Amino acid sequence: MSPDIYIETGTTLKWLLTTAWLLPLAGFLIEVFGGYWSGRKSRAAAYLAVGCIATGFVCSLIALLTWIDAANLNVSDIWQNPGAVAAASHEVSEATHADHEHDAHHAGAEHDGDHEHVAPSHSEAEHHGHAVHGNNPLKFAFNGTFYTLAKFGSIQVTLDYYIDGLTVLMFTMVTFIATCIHLFAIGYMSDELTESYEDHQVHLPGGKHFHRPGRFYRFFSFLSLFCFAMLGLVLAGNIFQVFIFWELVGVCSYLLIGFYVERKSASTAANKAFIMNRVGDFGFLIGLMILWTWFGTFQFANTNPDQTGQQGLFQMVRTDTGEIETEGEGLNRVAYMQSLSGQRLMGNDGQARRIPYWLLVVAGLGIFAGCVGKSAQFPLQTWLPDAMEGPTPVSALVHSATMVAAGVYLAGRFFPMFTPEVLLVIAYVGAITAFIGATIALVVTDIKQVLAYSTISQLGYMMLAIGVGGWLAGLFHLITHAFFKSLMFLCSGSVIHGCHHEQEMTKMGGLYKKMPITCWTMWIGVVAISGLAIPITLPYLGAIAFSGFHSKDAIIASSLSFSTLNPTHSLLFFIPLITAGITAFYMHRMWFMTFFGKPKDHHVHEHAHESPWVMCGPLLALSFFAAFCAVGGESGPLAKLLLTSEPTHVAGGLQAAGNIGLNLPSHHDIHECHGQAGVMALLAALMGAVIAYLFYCKQAVDPALVKARFESAHRFLKSKWQFDEIYDAMFTRPVHVVAKWCTGFDREALDRFLHSCASLAVGIAQWDRKFDEAVVDRIVNVLGEVTFAAGRTLKGVQTGRLRQYVMFIAAAVVCLFVVLFLFLPR
Amino acid sequence: MESLLFTVYALATCGAALGVVLSQNVARMAFWLVVSLGCVAGLFFMLNADFVGATQLLIYVGGTVVLLIFGVMLTASGPFNTIKSEPAEMIQAGVIGIALLAILIPTVTSVDWVGNRDTLSHAGVKSPSGEFNQQGEGGTSRHIGAALLGVRVDQADASAPSEAAEAHEHHDADHDHGHEHAHGEEAHSHAGHDHAHAEVSETNQASGYLLPFEIISVHLLVVLIGASYLARAKRRVEQPTS
Amino acid sequence: MESVGLSGYLIVGAVLFVCGVICMATKRNGIGILMGVELVLNGANLNFVAFSQHTHLGLDGQIASLFVIVLAAAEAAVALAIALNFYNNHLTIDVDRAADLKG
Repeated sequence: MSPDIYIETGTTLKWLLTTAWLLPLAGFLIEVFGGYWSGRKSRAAAYLAVGCIATGFVCSLIALLTWIDAANLNVSDIWQNPGAVAAASHEVSEATHADHEHDAHHAGAEHDGDHEHVAPSHSEAEHHGHAVHGNNPLKFAFNGTFYTLAKFGSIQVTLDYYIDGLTVLMFTMVTFIATCIHLFAIGYMSDELTESYEDHQVHLPGGKHFHRPGRFYRFFSFLSLFCFAMLGLVLAGNIFQVFIFWELVGVCSYLLIGFYVERKSASTAANKAFIMNRVGDFGFLIGLMILWTWFGTFQFANTNPDQTGQQGLFQMVRTDTGEIETEGEGLNRVAYMQSLSGQRLMGNDGQARRIPYWLLVVAGLGIFAGCVGKSAQFPLQTWLPDAMEGPTPVSALVHSATMVAAGVYLAGRFFPMFTPEVLLVIAYVGAITAFIGATIALVVTDIKQVLAYSTISQLGYMMLAIGVGGWLAGLFHLITHAFFKSLMFLCSGSVIHGCHHEQEMTKMGGLYKKMPITCWTMWIGVVAISGLAIPITLPYLGAIAFSGFHSKDAIIASSLSFSTLNPTHSLLFFIPLITAGITAFYMHRMWFMTFFGKPKDHHVHEHAHESPWVMCGPLLALSFFAAFCAVGGESGPLAKLLLTSEPTHVAGGLQAAGNIGLNLPSHHDIHECHGQAGVMALLAALMGAVIAYLFYCKQAVDPALVKARFESAHRFLKSKWQFDEIYDAMFTRPVHVVAKWCTGFDREALDRFLHSCASLAVGIAQWDRKFDEAVVDRIVNVLGEVTFAAGRTLKGVQTGRLRQYVMFIAAAVVCLFVVLFLFLPR
Repeated sequence: MESLLFTVYALATCGAALGVVLSQNVARMAFWLVVSLGCVAGLFFMLNADFVGATQLLIYVGGTVVLLIFGVMLTASGPFNTIKSEPAEMIQAGVIGIALLAILIPTVTSVDWVGNRDTLSHAGVKSPSGEFNQQGEGGTSRHIGAALLGVRVDQADASAPSEAAEAHEHHDADHDHGHEHAHGEEAHSHAGHDHAHAEVSETNQASGYLLPFEIISVHLLVVLIGASYLARAKRRVEQPTS
Repeated sequence: MESVGLSGYLIVGAVLFVCGVICMATKRNGIGILMGVELVLNGANLNFVAFSQHTHLGLDGQIASLFVIVLAAAEAAVALAIALNFYNNHLTIDVDRAADLKG
């Protein structure tokens, strides 16, 4: 690809994505200010929001096509021989760039605009025989600066953009799902189109329900703001900017979860979500501080082809081959920073700049702590189920596809910064989260809660994949999961809407005749998330399966190869395998309980109805993508797109890396395990599904009996692994106790002191008042009275008699002369 | 002769003025005023100011006082002819008047006028003294008329014959030539002292009164118009009869 | 001429002036006040002429006195008009009735 096309492509992508990013902001501003005079019954806000996000989707789609065109991806050549994955990624860049290197080298140097193309610098340099190596852990990306916020000497805080395959793909995914959810919400939220909305869940004293004006436009303005924040997060070119939008996403989720603010549960859930996120963000901030202090930049990477300007974080940490250059052992170990030209970065003092290795680990853990909060990982997962208090479209948007995806996205984006130690932590956290989420999902009966726990579980999967070095698998699952989870959330929303806001599955059943579209679109989602497939492999298409199978298969394969390479961590393979079976079980349980069997509540059953087309349309669109977005599996177009932005060092794997000597699997290793892992995962899923069928459809086994048999375990799961209780005991109650002490101290010591100060001041003020009245006021009054009296006296002089005036003049002359004679003697 | 005449005129003037003050009847006041003003005219004549004296007689005695008497006649209807002042006021005014006199008269007498004039002459201020004696010049009328037209005949004349006149001046013997030259260089703006500067002096000093004359003429006109406006009979607005 | 001197004229002028002032201060009749003004002006005039004769003033003093005479005439005319107006309005010439300036 020639530099001209690079520049052109970069500019096009920049403007397309910026438009897609800023449109929801414009929509938000118009909605939030225009909503006041558009009336409570106007759907204008919804149409505007849908228009904005749909236009954004179109822009993103064009960007995606531009990207595919620019990257010149031939769908069939990579992964044809899956064993050569590692080489393939190199080949991509070389094949696409080799013929234009000369141009790139010169024209790129001349170009100094804000959009730079990323040349595959190392291969280019090799061809020229230059000693200079481009330090570029990324194969293909564009970055640049929108605006410089602040400059502190050589370091600066900027608003950047960073566009690679992941960015473009995330944009397309987010805008598409958001568009579907916006459309769905028009139908779902139509209750709000009224001047007096009756909230049945808010009980006022006297047995009445709470009435309030509808908040239709407000809902859509929040949705727009949320989309803006999420897209900004994805587009951000430096970690600080990510943090800004990270927080904005948090605020939006707070607003949306607490949408029914009058419900105590909703406001509490909003607070919980926000506070839990703050805990994670604390770690994030620590990470930021370490990075800022040691690296002096927040930028991800500088992809300037002529290797000018400041190097980004990834380039400083990783060498050409994607390794961290370290020296020493244990706590004394240091990591050398790399410059753009592939050599050690020199500081101002002429010494090579380096960072203690443990600080790098801490920074990575800190950033990951932010991801833990945002993606509801163990131990901060408890906010997500509570967040189901928001309207269902919010749950779909915020808690399946976008907000919680932000954590995984960041973990993927920041992958080059993570040392093996951090990756191991990520893997274990992900595994634990996946298992906890899945087990709790077994017992909950609220349809949205099931989905919420399944979300937690799936997010755990993604983290696990990233942690075990399956970068592609994790983000692959992120994309596919976004589709089928938002689909299922919308389906549950449709069910809830159809059943008049009944969320308990125990009151449903036999709904498949009443709402067939919802039923079968949900089936697609259930099958996808369970990872079921027909075990036949077709040429060019891979296994016949929905998207979830491919991504989950990739994850299991990654974890299997990881545990093969690191036998001490074999738990990281068994947990996801077991969880896969559990997942299939509880998803089918939900589906069977909702749509099959006998109706358990006739009242609900009789009034149930299929949702309007504005809600079913998005379901169908999403179900299509949930089914087919991952066609071809890891050799399909989706995976290939993701591979374009995979960090360089992933493909080759690592041997005995880091202080703990972790072995990370290469693409080759993973593929070797693929068949084995796929079979195991499929078997587990099938088992889960069949058991669920027997339990809840065939009624071969009575679930109640099982429940009675494992009473204590059930109770343990029902109480969500006692997390809320543990946190209550660990944090809330101590805080209350401390607060009580503080209250006592305040009352007894501070208040008393303040009161005495106040009474002292009052006493002084009273004395002061007396002084004022007696002295100051009197002086002023006397002055005034004297003046007044003088005026009144002198008034008598003004007799109005002209003759007297003449007399006065004469007398005055006499007096003047006398005075003159007396005081001015000759 | 001079002092006798002066004494008579002065006494008459002062007495008539006192008469004005003391008489209560307006007509008598007018009479005393005429006497007083007439005697002042006499004093003017004694001061060689024949034109001013004549004007005094003509305008004051013949014009202004007649005007006042018209006023008296127009307004003095019976009871207002004599409006008595209160005795207290009279005493008050008398005290103040005497005090004023007691200030003015010592002031006047305490000044050495002759000495002053000599000092000024020594300082180079030109003295026009005795220049217009009616024997040679035919009174002041011609000079005043010329001055009002913007030409100062008296001072131009005074500068032209300065060399001849210098011998007659009783104090020019004090001057020697060298001194005078130096002096003249210094104060050449004082006309008539140095023949070399005669012309310059003429233009500098011959300040006529043409402009004030014109202004006073216009002023008179305006005053007359204003007076006639003020004094005209008020036009009664006819009440519409219904 | 020297026998009389400047002082005599000035004293006469002063007497005239004081008489005029007293006249102004005591007469309740408006015409009387006008007469007082005339006396004051005459006293001033006398001073002008006397100074013109006895000092360096020259003709200027006489011309000034001429102007004073003219102004006095003008003033008399206007004052008379005012007096007539006053009489028309108040049907009296007593200036004490004009007490509008009373504070």
